[in-house]
Amino acid sequence: MLWVGWALAALALALLAGQYAAGQADMFVSIANPRPLDEERMIVTLKGWGFAVASAQPFIASASDHGLSDVRVFATRRQMLVSIASFGFLRPVTVAWRAHAGILPLGDA
Amino acid sequence: MPIVQLGEAGRWTNYHGTGVCEDVTRFALRSGDAQRGRDELAIAAGAVREWLARAKAAGKRARPLGAGWSPSNINICADGWLLHTRRFNRCFRVAPVDVRPAVDARALMLVEAGALVDEVSDKLEEQGRSLWTSGAGNGQTFAGACATGTHGSMIARGGIQDHVRAVQIVTPAGVFWVEPEQGVMSDGFVAATGSTLLRDDDVFAAVRLPVGSLGVVTAMVVDSVPKFLVRPIQNLRTVRREALDWLAAGDFRRFSAAYALDRDPDFVQMIVNPYKPFKRPAMLRFLYREPWRTDYARAAPGELGAGYDALSLLGRLLDDYRFARGALLQFAMKLGYASGPDVDDPPVYGSWGEGLDTHRPLADLFNASVTIDRADLPHVFELVCRAYARHGGSTVMTVRFMERAEGLLAPARFPHNAVIDFDGPRSARTAKAYAAVVDLLDAEGVAFTRHWAKSCQLDAARVAADYGEDLQRWCAARDRLMPDPADRAVFRSRVLDGLGLTC
Repeated sequence: MLWVGWALAALALALLAGQYAAGQADMFVSIANPRPLDEERMIVTLKGWGFAVASAQPFIASASDHGLSDVRVFATRRQMLVSIASFGFLRPVTVAWRAHAGILPLGDA
Repeated sequence: MPIVQLGEAGRWTNYHGTGVCEDVTRFALRSGDAQRGRDELAIAAGAVREWLARAKAAGKRARPLGAGWSPSNINICADGWLLHTRRFNRCFRVAPVDVRPAVDARALMLVEAGALVDEVSDKLEEQGRSLWTSGAGNGQTFAGACATGTHGSMIARGGIQDHVRAVQIVTPAGVFWVEPEQGVMSDGFVAATGSTLLRDDDVFAAVRLPVGSLGVVTAMVVDSVPKFLVRPIQNLRTVRREALDWLAAGDFRRFSAAYALDRDPDFVQMIVNPYKPFKRPAMLRFLYREPWRTDYARAAPGELGAGYDALSLLGRLLDDYRFARGALLQFAMKLGYASGPDVDDPPVYGSWGEGLDTHRPLADLFNASVTIDRADLPHVFELVCRAYARHGGSTVMTVRFMERAEGLLAPARFPHNAVIDFDGPRSARTAKAYAAVVDLLDAEGVAFTRHWAKSCQLDAARVAADYGEDLQRWCAARDRLMPDPADRAVFRSRVLDGLGLTC
């Protein structure tokens, strides 16, 4: 039966490694005709497996009177390690966004 | 007031994350709602001049910032003032009364300096017009792309700055409207922009490609051609050695007939794996120009491309596993570049603007290039591949073609140019391999230049040697525009000083 234990341990390790790698994947969502300004970012920490959320700053994009151009969501290596070490109780992710510069109508010179 | 301060002094990172400005104060120049473009320019240029005077009085260096796109860090300065122009992005149609006699106003558009290449392209297409060339990406501001001589691979055209017919540029000493001697805009129009008119061929040739050193460009008059369609063909083909001779001789028709359609192409690009370039298939891209029509089957974007961090991941793998570099690069080529439509697929089309890549930041980007005389391509291509691969270069190589570009400091300065790009994941080994390519070309006695916006390891001595008399003319034009050394000092930065452009 020892081999079953080793196999389960290997499977668990593989699951963890997969979660560690996939958790660092970068999700990038953009509007169709992007006109991005500078990137800003914030860290959002999900607590208690998502029952509570904390962020160091409110989600306020400066100069966003024309809305957002694109958003990225990803976790760094350190953030994934925190998540794994806390058994998922803490799940920090980085949200990066760029405000839209606006599209103004063609005028006359 | 069209200039507002953005928060307190702090750190700013450029678009591709290759450079950081420490302790800089950021300002933004914003478009207003003036009825006419000339009125808007008069207000904005006056505000920029006042802002520059304040920077000078405060002993600060000033730097205009478009999209912050250049990975060469030409836009980086420390302890200075940055002026973001991205929200100064209106475009205006030009009327026949605004131009001098014999100038075709329909072809021209007045563009504020913060408009992206994509925006300029869209606004021209609204009027049934089009750019005739541009770079592969469309996320740079038009002014920024011109400032560094950005180019694509339209084989009968030069750089993006060739579109520019007039420039409004602001220094601490004044607001100038710079045109070639024969003139473009009417005197009344120029006066209404609040500018001092300067019709001078050399100064115009300098401000067409200012490398961010001649002042703050606030507006440009951009030329265009009637809107057209292009049919793309993109495929993976193993390229034979003799094909380089066809390309060097400008026989693009023969190259196209061998690997795509038997007709004259307008755009030819070859992405090769430097590890066995004649054995592993290259990604070839051809564009064929056709007259504009509205009923066409549109090209769809590639369904699968590399994600934001794929390049970083690949960079680490390529650095660590030398034996697998060739295969990994081939895999990256397939992953990163959309394949098709091929010759046998149903034809699809797009306008020039529709064919530009949507911009998004790339992680850990390395990009560099060498521009050579097209005739030297067969002689150096394999040597360059070998040197780059031997030293562990971890990017694909892209070969593009263009004619001589306008502007005294245009890197495309040969009558017919071949540009070899090294674009991909950043690593110290790749930078070293690129340096080995530079050494090799020097050892072979091959003349070449390097792109201002890329990580090309240029220095003042090299710039002086590469551009010779044209650099002297550029410096003379700069001194005519800014005779006071204290005004020139406002635009100094470590990078620009290192290139010898600001002394």
